[in-house]
Amino acid sequence: MFALEKPLPRPTEDSAPYWEAAREGELRMQRCSDCGHIRFPPAALCARCLSETLEWVKLSGRGTVFSWIVVHQSQHPAFNADTPYNVTIVELEEGPRLHTHLVECTNEHIHIGMPVEVIFLRINDEVTLPKFRPRELPQRLATC
Amino acid sequence: MANLSGKYAIVGVGTSRFGKLQGVSTMGFTLEASKRAIVDSGLSHTDIDGVLVMMPAIMGEQHGWAARVAAYLGIEPTFSATMDMGGATACGSVQTAIAAIDAGYCRSVLCCFATQNWPQGVVMQLFGSEFQVPYGDVGAITLMAHIKRRQQHEYGYTDEHYGQIAVTWREHALLNPDAQMKKPMTLDAYMNSRWVAEPLRLFDCCPNTDGGGACIVTSVEHARDLPKRPARILGAGQSHSSEIIHPRGNDGDHWGGKKAAAMAFGMAGLTPQDIDVAQFYDAFTPRVIHDLVAYGFCNPDEVGVFIDAGNLRLTGSLPSNTAGGLISEGHLSGFGHIREGVRQLRGECGPRQVKDAEFCLVTGYGGAPHEAPPTVSYSALVLAR
Repeated sequence: MFALEKPLPRPTEDSAPYWEAAREGELRMQRCSDCGHIRFPPAALCARCLSETLEWVKLSGRGTVFSWIVVHQSQHPAFNADTPYNVTIVELEEGPRLHTHLVECTNEHIHIGMPVEVIFLRINDEVTLPKFRPRELPQRLATC
Repeated sequence: MANLSGKYAIVGVGTSRFGKLQGVSTMGFTLEASKRAIVDSGLSHTDIDGVLVMMPAIMGEQHGWAARVAAYLGIEPTFSATMDMGGATACGSVQTAIAAIDAGYCRSVLCCFATQNWPQGVVMQLFGSEFQVPYGDVGAITLMAHIKRRQQHEYGYTDEHYGQIAVTWREHALLNPDAQMKKPMTLDAYMNSRWVAEPLRLFDCCPNTDGGGACIVTSVEHARDLPKRPARILGAGQSHSSEIIHPRGNDGDHWGGKKAAAMAFGMAGLTPQDIDVAQFYDAFTPRVIHDLVAYGFCNPDEVGVFIDAGNLRLTGSLPSNTAGGLISEGHLSGFGHIREGVRQLRGECGPRQVKDAEFCLVTGYGGAPHEAPPTVSYSALVLAR
């Protein structure tokens, strides 16, 4: 039977270092070399000062839950079998927010402000997705 | 900017057939709605020399869309553009029209749109960014669920508050024979409706609608010769931001419509308290709560009490979405809101007419909440009898 595959990132010259870092088990984002602003999603210039000079820096991988939702009606057939699944916005210690999944945690235990940390889930040779899990052990489920 | 206030008016409005109507093309709906608006205005199509059309959704590359609409209508415009602010386009196109007329580019402008959700000859393209779609975060619904989550977290709004908005709109839709949703809805039915993306319920969401809408903008001076009472455009505003996900500077504040509100009310020389009837862009119920705050009707901590008191109902202090809104009339991308606002000011709304309505606020909202960075556009019009 035909199984629709989940869409995966197709990196551009701006985003490739982000996905390369994920493959290497690090969360890296662009920092403006002129004003120090850490930005996400990756872009060719800094929206604060328009500088094109940047460096990729390793982040702590720690943050807190800014918002989370539980998708019951998938908007893409490849995700139908996963419902209900969470989509969580994590606010990183360094400031940027990103969309991700919270894992090693039931949806009922997720709450705004929950301390979380990044982990890396390898999908294939090219793609590793950063996901997050609770930092506090009692909220974390055994990985299955 | 204030010198444009009251110089221009909406003189014609129209919507096409709408609902679940496969088999009618996007162009077909556009022409049907446009002709109805032209006829409603009393102008001839040859009087129209400006055409602004909202970029059709799910249409792929459609160069010269607005000029094609004009060609089918026998119009040879001297000013034309296909506009792309999502659901903020309807109000935004009226604002653009008055600027173009005032600049002397044209004299009378057709603003229009249509959607066919299952168009022929179109390859479906998944939209969304490489940082969201791999996580199953697809479409506008997920962003709106996050907005409801943050609203409830920060201000304690209950699901009943959102439910009362949906129930009120449905009551209004039952007085609108054209409305897509025709069955009564109770608060219990809302509370028992399934999660689409928790905390967003099915009845927080509008339906998919195939159909179109249009309006005609010209000068008040020109409108004097026309048969129907013009709806004067006293104020218009727009703003664009990404404050929901990506705060800039010190804005812990995500009421992004405030700038559009300040522009529109400032230009009109009015305050929210002057508004007799409102049409809020309501693809999802959390949008209404946003607009009640951003447009200055309530402080964030007053919204629940305001809704509980029935202020949004036809009998309340701020009768809103009097045709049923996107949620119960159908998703006409804000052109239904403009049509309803104009007709309220003309006194044409029959059983749902707000008595002596003199000033109407219409809002719009759209953009690319599903792209990175999630960017949203706000637009507003203050109209007067």
